[in-house]
Amino acid sequence: MTDTEKNKGDMASLSDVVSITYLTKENAVFKHEGDFLSLDVTLPETTSPSGEVEGGQKYYERIYLHRSFPYDHPYKFISVLDHDNVEIGLISDISDFDGEVHDMLKAEIDRKYYAPVITKILSVKERYGYSYWEVIADDLKVSFAVRDTYRSIIRVTHTHIFIKDSDANRYEIKDTEALDRKSYKKIELYL
Amino acid sequence: MSERLELASRLCKLNPDIKEEDVTVAFGYDLKPDAGTSPTEGFVAVTADKIYIYEHDVLLKTYNTDDVDEYFFTSGVGCVFAECSLKTGGHVLLCRATMGHIDVISSIVWQLNRQKKGAAYSYRYEKDVDVKCPTCGRRYPPGSHICPHCAKKAGYLRRIWDIAKKYKWYILLMSVLYFIASLLELVPPMINRILVDSYITAEDAAELSLTNQFFIGFVSVVSALLVVNIISRVLGVGRSVLANNVATKITVDLRNMVFEKIQKLSVSRISKRTAGELMTRVSNDTAQLQSFISSDIGTMIQYLLVFLVVGGILFAYDWSLALLILIPLPIVMFANYVFRSKMGSLFHRQWQMDSRASTILHDIFSGIRVVKAFGMEKREGERFDEATENVRKAQIKSETFFAVYQPLISFFMGIGEFFLLYYVGNKILGGEMTLGEMSQFTSYVSIIYGPLRWLSMFPRRWERTMTSVVKIFDIVDEELDVFDKDNALDLDIQGYIDFENVAFGYDSGNNVLHDISFKVEPGEFIGIVGRSGVGKSTLINLVMRLYDADDGVIKIDGHNIKDISQSSLRSQIGVVLQETFLFSGTIYDNIAYAKPDATRDEVIAAAKLAGAHSFIMKMPDAYNERVGEHGHTLSGGERQRIAIARALLHDPKILILDEATASLDTETERQIQDALQVLSKNRTTLAIAHRLSTLRNATRLIVLDKGTIAEVGTHDELMRKKGIYYGLVMAQRQMSRMAPKNAS
Repeated sequence: MTDTEKNKGDMASLSDVVSITYLTKENAVFKHEGDFLSLDVTLPETTSPSGEVEGGQKYYERIYLHRSFPYDHPYKFISVLDHDNVEIGLISDISDFDGEVHDMLKAEIDRKYYAPVITKILSVKERYGYSYWEVIADDLKVSFAVRDTYRSIIRVTHTHIFIKDSDANRYEIKDTEALDRKSYKKIELYL
Repeated sequence: MSERLELASRLCKLNPDIKEEDVTVAFGYDLKPDAGTSPTEGFVAVTADKIYIYEHDVLLKTYNTDDVDEYFFTSGVGCVFAECSLKTGGHVLLCRATMGHIDVISSIVWQLNRQKKGAAYSYRYEKDVDVKCPTCGRRYPPGSHICPHCAKKAGYLRRIWDIAKKYKWYILLMSVLYFIASLLELVPPMINRILVDSYITAEDAAELSLTNQFFIGFVSVVSALLVVNIISRVLGVGRSVLANNVATKITVDLRNMVFEKIQKLSVSRISKRTAGELMTRVSNDTAQLQSFISSDIGTMIQYLLVFLVVGGILFAYDWSLALLILIPLPIVMFANYVFRSKMGSLFHRQWQMDSRASTILHDIFSGIRVVKAFGMEKREGERFDEATENVRKAQIKSETFFAVYQPLISFFMGIGEFFLLYYVGNKILGGEMTLGEMSQFTSYVSIIYGPLRWLSMFPRRWERTMTSVVKIFDIVDEELDVFDKDNALDLDIQGYIDFENVAFGYDSGNNVLHDISFKVEPGEFIGIVGRSGVGKSTLINLVMRLYDADDGVIKIDGHNIKDISQSSLRSQIGVVLQETFLFSGTIYDNIAYAKPDATRDEVIAAAKLAGAHSFIMKMPDAYNERVGEHGHTLSGGERQRIAIARALLHDPKILILDEATASLDTETERQIQDALQVLSKNRTTLAIAHRLSTLRNATRLIVLDKGTIAEVGTHDELMRKKGIYYGLVMAQRQMSRMAPKNAS
């Protein structure tokens, strides 16, 4: 027996104590109900310490999808929540679902996370702790104001950033180095 | 015109069957319902019986309001949704919009639901229409009605002057001293000229040097130089003392101004900023502004005078020569103008990096025990290294810029000197000018370049100052959201508390509490129960008025809480929180904090009541023991008991206990509970506890669930009801039965 195996034998690992409920195509059926998604789920029945029976078959008319790691894994570890914000389960990867359901889940996630992609920066003007941006995002000219610019930039990697404006809208730059030189020069200071 | 009326008239044009006055609600949206990124333009309008959804003035959908079960507001990330559930089943989307619409949409959804329940529709949200700057159309920063984009620099200059004018006589005196010192600088070149022309290069100097008269003249000239030098040194000392004096006075004023404002801000406003950031504002930014007021304004006045006087002399002597010298001036001015914004952003960047590094430092030091416990010193060290490295990079960037910029500017300024040399050389060769005159003239030219050089440095100082000034005024101008009315009451509180349909959320659109209504009689002990995150602490924060309710009314003794002065309210509320905060100082200081005029006997009595006296007396310095920063030399339970003693000494009319005894062992808790029981007899007490046994003496229990009141009653009543409270109690009993089993 190796040392690690011995340790495993002595100590309970996290996964023994906490079980994550995964939603898969075997136990979960996602459907359009009105303009949103509904969920029909069958989970193994368990009894909580207070004596309540949990699990079994349940129907949720409206479910909410939330990314666990919005920047690193936008379509993995998707939390499925009910109306009271209680987690029903986790989808470990939406590509585990087949064509139509996968597209449905992706569309639902995409419309919840709105961040136009900036392709060109026309101007950035600093004035008294705010910066005023004029950019081309999704082929449209957009202008917005950013408070405390340096701190309002989410740096996913050194070249992939999100900018949060003063209203909490988000704008994405997928690759700062792929921007044209003039655009890059304008934001270089904040990177 | 409000957005509602504007859209209502648009709807009537598109659909002539509808009358404008029938439109209860109308709001715009700017995103297509589906797909990730998809701007559009449209609006939703609601009449008594129908909902209309338009996109680009084309009717997309209609719903009957009678079919709607409930309206919902859902936050996405970077966008928001208005939706409703239908009685026939399913949720439908009314619209999707960017975050700028959050206030209006969330407030409308809230109102529509109230209206469905029969409440009259109030156009509360319409007062928020003027949230945009009329000049540029941008939204004001939260809490402010100053658009930073359109704010005039002159406006800030005037505000600096408002602060500085208190010291105008000092500043003037200082400028005069500086000016006299500068005038004195004009004297040595004059004496030099005499020295050179009359003594050193005089044709008959060799013969004359032997005469007594020549010797006396020579010595007097040299002595005059010495005297001028001494006088200017003495003046220099005087002006430094004065300058320091003014500077410290201004610093104190500025720091107090910023600090007092921060103290007045509500908790919600303060928590938007980090402690490190606030510290930077109070210390560094005010220092920057101080140095501007105390030294730069004086220098500006002095140099202006010097420039006028010396410029006048030079012009009087030879105007064409003076013009030659001034040739570089427009070049320098132009360059400064062009590079101003570049310099501004370089400094802003440096400021940000500095502030980030000090935030990290503050973070590490205040969490030093966690850092050490997890052995993360190395990683934190790296984090700080990275931050200082960034500071270094930003510094190098701006310094490099100035290293290039400054000499270049100096070079252009120096061009005048080349002209001068050529011109003066010609004159001397032509015999029109003596060597002494040349020496005087070139000295004056170098004196006049002083103000010019300073002018080239000025934008740098100016930008640095303005960055700080804007950040200072950003705080000073922040609108108070929790404030005393002009005629705020000083109330002698009896202890009636009355919540009427209270709603509150920390962010707009996210209500933590809604429809909270209950009454508390004086002397009642109310237990507040519910799962974590259900809004229990929020509820008591509202009673303390750390925040103002978004909707509904909270009354104390029948008076709206907003009409009572904050100081009179809080001086009669005693609080013990789960997270006790002790200030560095002695135990005595900490207990007497809420009642500085308490006698020693009172402090000891309070400590005894809180069960703190015995452990305090075990310490070598007893009540004079210093507790260290945040009280880290004491255990959690000891800190808690000191906090309880502090609240008890305060002798409040309303006592608030937020998990006050959670960190104590069962025995001590019981002792304190008994003490509190005695103490709470004649005062209204609101207590939050997870350990439900703590609340066994409560006159009533309020059970919160999903942000609203789910159950109210005594322990027995609620147990019989077998609802949420029953479930919580059962779960806890099971836990305590299990605990010994696990331990064995």
